[in-house]
Amino acid sequence: MKIHILHIYPNDMNTYGDRGNLLVLKKRAEWYGLEPVIHYHNVGDELPKEVDIVLGGGGEDKAQDAIQADLMRIGGDLHRLVDKGVPMLMVCGTYQLFGKRFITHEGREIQGIGVFDLETFGGQKRMIGNIAVETKDFGTLYGFENHSGVTRLGPGQQALGRVVRGNGNNGEDKTEGSRTKNAIGTYLHGSVLPNNPRLADSLLRLAMDGQLTDTKAIDDSLAGLVRIQAKSRKY
Amino acid sequence: MRKAAGTLLGKTVAGAVRLRGRSGGQAMPGLVVETLVPGYLGAMLKQLAQGVVIITGTNGKTTTTKMVVEILRSRGLRVLTNPTGSNLTRGIISSISRQAKVFGVLPFDIAVFELDEAYARQFTDVVKPRFVLGLNASRDQLDRFGEVDTVARLIGETMLSATEDIVTNADDKRLSVIASGVTVPVTYFGVSPSLLRFFPRDDELVSVDGQETTLQAANVPLAVELISFHDDRATYKIGEQEFKARLQLTGQHNFQNAAAALALVELISANGSDPLADIAALEKVEPAFGRGQVYALRNGSQLQLNLVKNPASFRQGLASYVRPDTHVLIAINDRLADSRDMSWLWDVDFSVLAGLSSQVWTSGSRGVDMALRLQYDEVKTGRVEPDLDRALAQFAKLEGDKVVLASYTAMLHLHALLERKAAKL
Repeated sequence: MKIHILHIYPNDMNTYGDRGNLLVLKKRAEWYGLEPVIHYHNVGDELPKEVDIVLGGGGEDKAQDAIQADLMRIGGDLHRLVDKGVPMLMVCGTYQLFGKRFITHEGREIQGIGVFDLETFGGQKRMIGNIAVETKDFGTLYGFENHSGVTRLGPGQQALGRVVRGNGNNGEDKTEGSRTKNAIGTYLHGSVLPNNPRLADSLLRLAMDGQLTDTKAIDDSLAGLVRIQAKSRKY
Repeated sequence: MRKAAGTLLGKTVAGAVRLRGRSGGQAMPGLVVETLVPGYLGAMLKQLAQGVVIITGTNGKTTTTKMVVEILRSRGLRVLTNPTGSNLTRGIISSISRQAKVFGVLPFDIAVFELDEAYARQFTDVVKPRFVLGLNASRDQLDRFGEVDTVARLIGETMLSATEDIVTNADDKRLSVIASGVTVPVTYFGVSPSLLRFFPRDDELVSVDGQETTLQAANVPLAVELISFHDDRATYKIGEQEFKARLQLTGQHNFQNAAAALALVELISANGSDPLADIAALEKVEPAFGRGQVYALRNGSQLQLNLVKNPASFRQGLASYVRPDTHVLIAINDRLADSRDMSWLWDVDFSVLAGLSSQVWTSGSRGVDMALRLQYDEVKTGRVEPDLDRALAQFAKLEGDKVVLASYTAMLHLHALLERKAAKL
């Protein structure tokens, strides 16, 4: 069975190794006997007809500027996919633009597509380091954050989880990431999916309407060891 | 006065550090002199008749500096340089005070310094170099810099401090754009269009499934062009003439670094250049500290140690040194100098290791993370041994030739072990 994975803006938003997320979904899909089809959407492209999962990565400020207009152009289509329950994983820079707006350090306002009810403010301090986040649906997530944007969630916006170690959305209220239906936004790099196979499989399962055969087919013992070390890491 | 005082102070501190048996005291004298004798660096370097040359960039600084220094020395020039790893201002001040005569006389004609791209500004604010070579700008430790454009901007600022000429890489988009807008003359090195695919630029590292990217040679005249290479032989076009070279430095990136070095030294020649003599000197250059050094082991096999510090250098290491029958040990630490963040490992394609008949092992504080990375390129890790000493001791026992790819602090540790006892391993 085919599974269509759409990676948005790989040419611009590719700075922080989030390629790992695409690789993990592609490989795990193959290992589960699915046939992954990878689609790339860059500025000016048309969205593919079939989309089962959407991924977006981190990028620099300049890259965010470069994709913003195009993202607004396809924003309506992305909203329709979210409403249909298509799983999405938006990391860092793309996560910010999936919010309502980004207000840069100089006070310039960049519109987002508002999948998540949140605002991000360009900050002075870079929040860098290993991070652990407790989530209801995916267990503890381990990753690495590297951002200066301070993200504040609107009153009705569900967070992805609660920060156990690190800064998360803003370093203040212990929230990390956002979730709207099956769309997830997060600051976690690392890449996030290899360290958190349960999250990867949840995305695949949601994409396949719950149909994911034999999840025992994959040996996740190395990820298990990575997680044990991440849990006890002091820095 | 400053020259004499600073030199005496530097030598005294260096002596004291030695007396106390401290290792790694290379920065200490420089730190003290920098603080107590302001203006020392500038005053000292003013003595050099042929001025100061700076080499910076993300990858290849150490090896390229070694090439330039050795070529210039072969011309009979007395060249002052900084020892490997001391590429911050204070390390340079330390080596100046160490090598100066009493009363602060610096017995050299020219200085060639490798500068860390993040700290080059501290140096160029005080000393204006005649020439700056900007090698490349690539994603390095993003937890150090934040963003790739920041890296390029820092290297660009250093290039702009050149008073006579900037030398840079025509195939590095970010740097060549910066160079195109300046008033100082710019000299370019590069590789021929047919070779570009061997030198992927940073933005092309992220191809996910081997899709072709369109490559374009930069549209500028090249002073030195790498036109072909095979094994240890390379052909360069310098001006209108072709020259063949046989290097002791292996690895395609070193052929590119050599083009940079040649472009730079041709500018420095006062009495007309002699590329043949320069290439003869280039052929004698041996690998720098932990950058391709080869060690003979007890069982008769050889082990090559290579630093990998970012996706570009990792990719170069894999492409240059891994043969179907070489055993590979990948040692990844996560101290500050390595990068705390492991994301960079996901920007490297390891699938070349999937087809090996030999062993692939991992080690270091992030040896497990490395093995997990390999799993997703369908590479089976034969052994994960986080302890570097144990990993090296066991790995050395394998029959057949070996290559070690190590992040910065892992390389330092393994280098010390190998220097001390490679023949006993």
